[in-house]
Amino acid sequence: MAAITLDQVSFNYPGTTEPVLKNLCLHIEDGTTHALLGASGAGKTTLLNMLSGLLSPSSGALRFGDKNVSTIGARERNVALVFQFPVLYETKSVLDNLMFPLLNRGWVMKEARGRAIEVAEELELADVLHLRPAGLSLYQKQLAAIAKSLVRTDVDLVLLDEPLTAVEPAMKWRLRQRLASFQVEHGLTMIYVTHDQTEALTFASQVSLLSEGRILQTGTPEDIYNHPIDRFVGDFIGSPGMRFIPSARLHSDQPPLGLLFAEPPERDAGTLMGIRAEWLTPQRSADGIWELVSKRLVGTDGGQEKSLLGFRNGDFELLAEGLGNWCKGDRANLRVQRYALLPAEPQTAITS
Amino acid sequence: MNGQKQDNRAWLGVLPVLLIVAFSAVIPLMTVVNYSVQDILDINTRLFVGFEWYRETLGDTRLQDALGRQLLFSSLVILIEIPLGILIALALPREGRVLSFLLILFAVPLLIPWNVVGTIWQIFARGDIGLLGASLEFLGISFNYASHPLHAWITLLAMDVWHWTSLVVLLAFAGLSSIAPAYYQAAELDDASRWQIFRFIEFPRLKGVLTIAVLLRLMDSLMIYTEPFVLTGGGPGNSTTFLSQYLATKAIGQFDLGPAAAFSVIYFLLVLLLCWIFYTAVVKDKGTDQ
Repeated sequence: MAAITLDQVSFNYPGTTEPVLKNLCLHIEDGTTHALLGASGAGKTTLLNMLSGLLSPSSGALRFGDKNVSTIGARERNVALVFQFPVLYETKSVLDNLMFPLLNRGWVMKEARGRAIEVAEELELADVLHLRPAGLSLYQKQLAAIAKSLVRTDVDLVLLDEPLTAVEPAMKWRLRQRLASFQVEHGLTMIYVTHDQTEALTFASQVSLLSEGRILQTGTPEDIYNHPIDRFVGDFIGSPGMRFIPSARLHSDQPPLGLLFAEPPERDAGTLMGIRAEWLTPQRSADGIWELVSKRLVGTDGGQEKSLLGFRNGDFELLAEGLGNWCKGDRANLRVQRYALLPAEPQTAITS
Repeated sequence: MNGQKQDNRAWLGVLPVLLIVAFSAVIPLMTVVNYSVQDILDINTRLFVGFEWYRETLGDTRLQDALGRQLLFSSLVILIEIPLGILIALALPREGRVLSFLLILFAVPLLIPWNVVGTIWQIFARGDIGLLGASLEFLGISFNYASHPLHAWITLLAMDVWHWTSLVVLLAFAGLSSIAPAYYQAAELDDASRWQIFRFIEFPRLKGVLTIAVLLRLMDSLMIYTEPFVLTGGGPGNSTTFLSQYLATKAIGQFDLGPAAAFSVIYFLLVLLLCWIFYTAVVKDKGTDQ
């Protein structure tokens, strides 16, 4: 395995002037899992194809360890790839599928067989080794496809392209666990491409958020969730996303906002205060400043119903998680447990 | 829904099809079967002869020769057209304007009436004025399909390949188009050779359409009539007389209705048998695939 470095990597498709990837800089430590998160059209697939060697960067350098692999094709790149849906050879048994990449690279039959069985046992595929893909469940098929990509011992990088998309929801968690424990045990360098933030934030040790061909922010999942670099990231990450109030509004002469702080932010015209629903606690009050305008039940907590509540105060609207019986039109003040301070201006230029 | 209560009205929906099939296939076939067991002297004088005509037909050496030629022709046609069609389909670009143009070009032979195809090749292969025949003559190769049996066979095969390979190309191309690019990507990462890609990715996906292609070509080539009739008229000698042409000679030329009817029934059963053998072999093979 190797560390992966993107050094000022750009890409545009031949005949177009607008780059799909713009000056990407990224370093992924050897043996870690990195998630590339972005909406469709963000450039995820292009970046994935570049990492796998199907495309070469238009400018900049791509390094695996110390080696510049920018112009090395997919066959010689030493990359394994797991696709969105199970890609297996239909006429071969699972065992033959697993042995195929090894035999093609000059492994001896006996050793290839041993290695294939070893990986299959670790991924709990031993019972279905003799079956063809048509005899497997979707979960087993994708597990076999993952096993096929992990069977080689000489790969520098394992790329995962939304590998859980096709799997039954109930099995996603299990597949993710298998994958994660295999990664830790063998110290694999993995890049996990997804549009699903839950997958990205729970699977990877580092997350990069991609938008319009740029990396907006790279950090640990906690970092990205709690300290988004700008308004776009705060809104994109989390479900629902962050809501914002200009910090300056707290200190202006206008009517009070009805927000209760343990420690209010400082007056700074240049910052936004970002607040997530679970960081707010509504306090019912007849002369409260916020009015309840929407309500969605999300579960129960200690026997009380737990709802996502939308409160409005003039132009501002905030979401809060509330317990108990709330009705539209109820009035409240909002206690802010924590908040994030972000620059008011977009920071998307940081990578260029 | 009550499972016990039967609603038979659905049969009404099937009725039109049953009627059409009855009129277009079953009744004519039964008429032929009826003729095949009678000696028809004139419209009012008919004698029941049992299986006499069948015995006579099966013992007819000219028919046996025609059957041999027929089987050889069908085998050659399939052996040439299927691999050639697959090769052309593999060589086609997967998208773009060139592809659309090529697909239309390939569809053209399929749209030409069969007797016109025969006429085209009759002229095309003529040694005096035909582009192909005259070119061969010019190169010093004496080519005359009207007098040389081998030349007649080559011309017939070339005509059939020209006429029908497109069908295999179009079917195979449809099969290839259904393969997701990810399979090729995965094969590249597995360092698979071109042959392995064909053997393990493309061929398994083509099996279904190739079954259809072989079946269609088998049925059609076994029943070929118009093109050789126009091109060679069965000659020189009887060298390109296939089953259908021999049948037509018997039924219309000599007006031997009884033997011709027996011949027809045997012919029909033969085509049915060959297609059934092929189909069950393939389906059985698919069964063991799983």
